[in-house]
Amino acid sequence: MKPMLSTDLNAVDTTVEKAKIEVKNLNFYYGQSKALKDINLSLPERSVTAFIGPSGCGKSTLLRVLNRIYELYPKQTAEGQVLLDGKNILDRSQDLNLLRTKIGMVFQKPTPFPMSIYENIAFGVRLYEKISKAEMDNRVEQALKRAALWNEVKDKLNASGLSLSGGQQQRLCIARTVAVKPEVILLDEPASALDPLSTAKIEELIDELQADYTIVIVTHNMQQAARVSRQTAFMYLGELVEFDRTEKIFTSPREKRTQDYITGRFG
Amino acid sequence: MTAVAEAATSSATRTREATVRRFAFTDMVFRGATRASAILVLVILGGVAISLVTGSWEALSKFGFSFLTTEAWNPVTENFGALAPIYGTVVTSAIAIIIAVPIGIGIAVFLTELCPRPLRRPIGIAVELLAGIPSIIYGIWGLFVFAPFLQTTIQPFIINIFHGIPGLSSLFAGPPYGIGLLTSSLILAIMVLPFITSITKDVFDTVPAVLKESAYGIGCTTWEVTRRVVIPYTRVGIMGGVMLGLGRALGETMAVTFVIGNAHRISASLFAPGTTISATIANEFTEADGELYTSSLVALGLILFIITLIILAIARYMLLRIDSRAGA
Repeated sequence: MKPMLSTDLNAVDTTVEKAKIEVKNLNFYYGQSKALKDINLSLPERSVTAFIGPSGCGKSTLLRVLNRIYELYPKQTAEGQVLLDGKNILDRSQDLNLLRTKIGMVFQKPTPFPMSIYENIAFGVRLYEKISKAEMDNRVEQALKRAALWNEVKDKLNASGLSLSGGQQQRLCIARTVAVKPEVILLDEPASALDPLSTAKIEELIDELQADYTIVIVTHNMQQAARVSRQTAFMYLGELVEFDRTEKIFTSPREKRTQDYITGRFG
Repeated sequence: MTAVAEAATSSATRTREATVRRFAFTDMVFRGATRASAILVLVILGGVAISLVTGSWEALSKFGFSFLTTEAWNPVTENFGALAPIYGTVVTSAIAIIIAVPIGIGIAVFLTELCPRPLRRPIGIAVELLAGIPSIIYGIWGLFVFAPFLQTTIQPFIINIFHGIPGLSSLFAGPPYGIGLLTSSLILAIMVLPFITSITKDVFDTVPAVLKESAYGIGCTTWEVTRRVVIPYTRVGIMGGVMLGLGRALGETMAVTFVIGNAHRISASLFAPGTTISATIANEFTEADGELYTSSLVALGLILFIITLIILAIARYMLLRIDSRAGA
């Protein structure tokens, strides 16, 4: 396991860094019920931000707003602004498919597509790029290497994605997301269905990926948030209670509710 | 422990043992009953097969293998061959499936992925009502409404379009009778559509939401999600629906009898009248006077039975191969 990333030496004040995503006055509704209440926060570029909080606090909902995947379902509505590089993605004119190629998502359970390992990755790339077979081979290899899966699957690229173990499947999903060359990667409890060893691999991977990507991770596991993230947002009952550098949240939180949660007094 | 208490304990044990024995007995009865039901299916299937074979024995022993390869069907000279009905059955069912599968899958995709919620139930119910229409209704509708419409508008148009194009011109050669192979195929397509649609819709609903989300999440359009994720994920179920539809198309009697024309010949043109196995049996059973004639009709039934078995076997084999290739 890697040491905690943010020491005082390399910690950067989040307000100074360039913001990749800015959430402004965001409200979210499931039908009539309000799930997110006036959320404001700013996610710095090329770093890992964790959303923590008890079940039902709205952290996954917030994540699902960021690539507008919630729109697959009727009666879910978002109000306010989410700026990606200064452009409001909640705007009606925003092309959804284009948005989702920029903002990749990995889910709680591994979701390999019903096709070969190679195709699982090539499929997404092919949607928006016309590249030769050799380039594609290279692209698939790079993505799998990026996800630390290449050595385990290089001899069986034509096997079904479903034949892999749970941890491998999840890394395949990360490779698939990376291959499309997004700018932001959303991770919705990516390790909650995995054993400790696979979890460690995924966390290492997240650490490496932040050199190139803006990463947002939702997690129930506070140690995980402490290990992988640079900023942490604590949410409770649809509100953003506190958002600060991870070490600050876990050592000297401003809010009493944050402190109660991270010390396990509720939630 | 006192003697009284001991006696009480042992009597309690005895009651419990009696109860357990009773349970064991009901369990045995239950097991026997379910096994008997299962065996009954085999017995019925076997009985049908045996009576078909014995009933058709006279025709099969007289004509031998040539029964399958002869087009002639002449009750006067008592010369019978099954080629024309087999051809008609296979061709009409195949065309019906080719037409109905894309439309059925299209409806299912629309209902599960695209349809606004208030419209979902009405359309779904309408499709299921289509399955509830008795085949005789399709038959008279086909004969009195659909066939004349084809005869006066569609068929002359198609004949004109393909006139002079090699291959297609003979496939769609006139004269436009209205009734014929293609008309039957179209009616069959309408009839099997609800089966394919409702099964496909049901299996589409089983696709995990998160799998679709991840496909949308890498920027797929609805078409791409359907084509590359939903359909591959549900192919086994879809094949099941298609096979059920094919089974119905192969055996459908009444509607086909009305519109196929009942001509014992094989023509290259899809507009020409033909016949199917079930239509032949239904049409001619009452007038079959010689033993050989009746036996030939039963032999047709046997062939239909075997064709259906072969189709099911092929479906099983295909599913097996797809599964082993997917490694799932």
